Amino acid sequence: MHFKRTYTFVIGLVLLSSFAVIQSSDMTNPIQLLTTQTDYNVGYPVVLEFTASEGEKPLLYCSNSYGSTLVSAKAKNDTLQYVIPYNMTKKIGVVNWIVLDKNKSAAGQFNINPKAEVATMETYIGPPSIEAGGTDYTMLVVIPTDSLDNPVPTNTKVDAKFQFLNSEEKDAIFTKNLISYKNIYSKKESGRMLVSSESLGVNSKEFTINVWAAIPTDFKIMAKRPHNYADGNQVTTFNTSVIKDKQNNVVSDGTFVTFFITNGIGNILKTTGTTIEGIAYAKIIHPDFKDNWSIKAYVDGMAESDTITLNYQSVIEDFEVAFANKNREILVGPLQSFMKQMIPDGLHVKLLIYKDNLLVDTITKTAFNGYVTFNLKPAIYKNGSYNFSIETAGTHKTFNNKKLW
Amino acid sequence: MIVALIISGISGLFSYLNTGADRSSMLHTEIQKVEQYAPKLIWEPLQNEGRPMDNENLNALQNDYLDAWYVKQVAYKTNKTAGIKDYYTDSARENLYAFIALNKTENTTIEATTLSHNPTLEFFSEDGQLAVVTDRDVVEYKRVFKAEKLVLETTETSTYKMVFLLEDGFWRIRHLIKESSNPYLPETAKIKTDSLIIKGINYYPKATPWNMFGDAFAKDTIANDFKIIKDAGLNSVRIFVQYDDFGKANVNPKKLEKLKQTLDAAEENGLKVVITLFDFYGDYSIMNWTLNQRHAETIVSTFKDHNALIAWDIKNEPNLDFDSRGKDMVIAWLDNMIDLVKSIDKVHPVTIGWSNTQSAPILKDKVDIVSFHYYEGLSELDEAIKTMKKEIPNKPLVLQEFGMSSYNGFWKPLGSNVEDQANYHKKIQEIIAANKLQFMSWTLYDFVDVPKAVVGSRPWRRNTQKHFGFIDKNGVKKASFKYITN
Repeated sequence: MHFKRTYTFVIGLVLLSSFAVIQSSDMTNPIQLLTTQTDYNVGYPVVLEFTASEGEKPLLYCSNSYGSTLVSAKAKNDTLQYVIPYNMTKKIGVVNWIVLDKNKSAAGQFNINPKAEVATMETYIGPPSIEAGGTDYTMLVVIPTDSLDNPVPTNTKVDAKFQFLNSEEKDAIFTKNLISYKNIYSKKESGRMLVSSESLGVNSKEFTINVWAAIPTDFKIMAKRPHNYADGNQVTTFNTSVIKDKQNNVVSDGTFVTFFITNGIGNILKTTGTTIEGIAYAKIIHPDFKDNWSIKAYVDGMAESDTITLNYQSVIEDFEVAFANKNREILVGPLQSFMKQMIPDGLHVKLLIYKDNLLVDTITKTAFNGYVTFNLKPAIYKNGSYNFSIETAGTHKTFNNKKLW
Repeated sequence: MIVALIISGISGLFSYLNTGADRSSMLHTEIQKVEQYAPKLIWEPLQNEGRPMDNENLNALQNDYLDAWYVKQVAYKTNKTAGIKDYYTDSARENLYAFIALNKTENTTIEATTLSHNPTLEFFSEDGQLAVVTDRDVVEYKRVFKAEKLVLETTETSTYKMVFLLEDGFWRIRHLIKESSNPYLPETAKIKTDSLIIKGINYYPKATPWNMFGDAFAKDTIANDFKIIKDAGLNSVRIFVQYDDFGKANVNPKKLEKLKQTLDAAEENGLKVVITLFDFYGDYSIMNWTLNQRHAETIVSTFKDHNALIAWDIKNEPNLDFDSRGKDMVIAWLDNMIDLVKSIDKVHPVTIGWSNTQSAPILKDKVDIVSFHYYEGLSELDEAIKTMKKEIPNKPLVLQEFGMSSYNGFWKPLGSNVEDQANYHKKIQEIIAANKLQFMSWTLYDFVDVPKAVVGSRPWRRNTQKHFGFIDKNGVKKASFKYITN
């Protein structure tokens, strides 16, 4: 019994004393920061020093732009030292920290400041092509960064340099919000612009901006043809004048031009071409009958030409028709052109067959060696009286009451 | 016969093996965006330099920015690099990888979330490929673990400046600089709590307990019940908003409408309402905080000006989740949720429905009203109240749930009967009056059915839960009805 009491007493003492220890450690001076520096240059080691307290080595929580971590203490000469990890000291920005002792009363922050040193000129430029005329522009964005990939301090000078035709310009811009930028306006002329930048003695790469001509202005058209006969064989070539924008820059190659041809009966024919050095060519075959064309060209939605007219004369004034073999074989020809030469092969000849004034059939054949022959088979065209009409090259001949038997 | 069975079996197998991917899913054309991270984010008015910003680009930038935060939180929680490369450029991601490597070797993990962002677009380049954003007063909540042991819980407000590049269709962070950081000190205005002495009751409709806002919702039924409650001399009801049922982060407007009708019915009958949020929600994990907060934000901002509202109850009996989810985690969640609710509604008091008297002092400085539930023996109640009053001298106390089941059938032959229940209410009302407590009893009706999710599937529990009402399931007032108030 006596034994038990002593035992309890001892245990009690132990408990009390341990409680007292906790108490006293609570009462001892809280951990205090000894380091007074709060601004560091990026890349330099940062060590936070604190008063040591009773052999305790609490962790240090610290957090920067990219993340947070815990740092263990090193005891040294009655102080606690925390070495901030390199991946934190090499990035600029605020680092806040808390000593994770019991009451977490020691907390603070320090700044890691950027250095005025440029290692790379991170350059972005766009759009890569702009329009001449002084209203369109491209934007140069430069982020000068140091060797640790940090943006340089605000208000660092960046020289933006441009070369265009005979001019070379240099503009000073200053970093703000981590970047520096400059709008580069086009001049009146088209061409290529070279852009680069420099900061603290470091130069960027060269960048190229294409300054294209602006939209085309109205233009003229011309036509060229071997002769003015409607032979359905030769080719008429249209071309534009040199198409230019309002600043007199030749439009970019490949500008698409459409030629609209309105013929004598109001039908529309179309041919197209794309420009090379401002001129677009387009071709079309001659009509095979006498016609009047009026032609106008467009760059869709942007510019148009004047209107020109072309006349095509008929190549065949007259032709002969012979009936043979019970009038069932109709020989058309010789079909002769303007110099009495045989018409080139391929001219369309159309035979229209009427019975009792009703159109029964239309047969189209093409000329070969100046002649066309139509054969009317008895199985199809019964014996009887027919009217025939033959058309070619815009002329026609009619034969009434021809009897087939 | 057997042969036929075998053949049909084999043919069944063949036809199964012949089924392939559905054509519509072959090209993976549908991409469903799952909301994972939705902190409060409000853009400052757009006055950026460079090209004018449009909504479509701003939206894309915002989505990728929040995703960048999300993948970073996941990476630091798990110390794995998955997802980082989508949202940080080649050189920027190295900085995150360095942290992950360091924290992995040191066995440090960080669970974090951001609760609020106020970005300003500083610059948008002419070609639409580069943007600079300053995000001011980002509220960051962090839990830092060393060897799986929590060593720090901290909330900071920081300002970040960022350069974004549009690469491969992602807005990626190129430079990230923390410009300032301070401890977060939410300001909480003092809220008046003396507008009403609560004499109320926990309410569920008779036919649809725990499913009040479902298809069977009828304002008339609720209005009738509210009239009964008002006529009985009570002045308030406590109702429950279930997190999943109301649509989680994207609150279903139809549910809001039903809740509004309920509040309207209360107002028409002269009753005040305590709305309990986050019912049936038990996941307090940091990764879901932003989603939880959007849920609360929608509901609180919708009803903060409703005349019937008297208080917000953040969560019903959260202390029951202490064991399974970690006490500090649950408390941190509640703490931050209170800050959020108070930031939106600066008028109505906030409370937490603790399931016992021992938990009541938790967060006593944060809540405006201390609520607790009591289902234990009445003999110890008086003492428990005295203890609580000593610990919480300056906040009103509400006995927010109490009651007795009158079930003594097959599953619980020795249970209390209707008379016991009446005696219980008579006695507890005396204690309430003596201690000048505010109260809300459990509950108006005996229920026909109780969902398994509430008390489990054991019949003696479910049947007990069905008989807590002052009115039985045939609509007849039980003896206890006389003692519904003091």
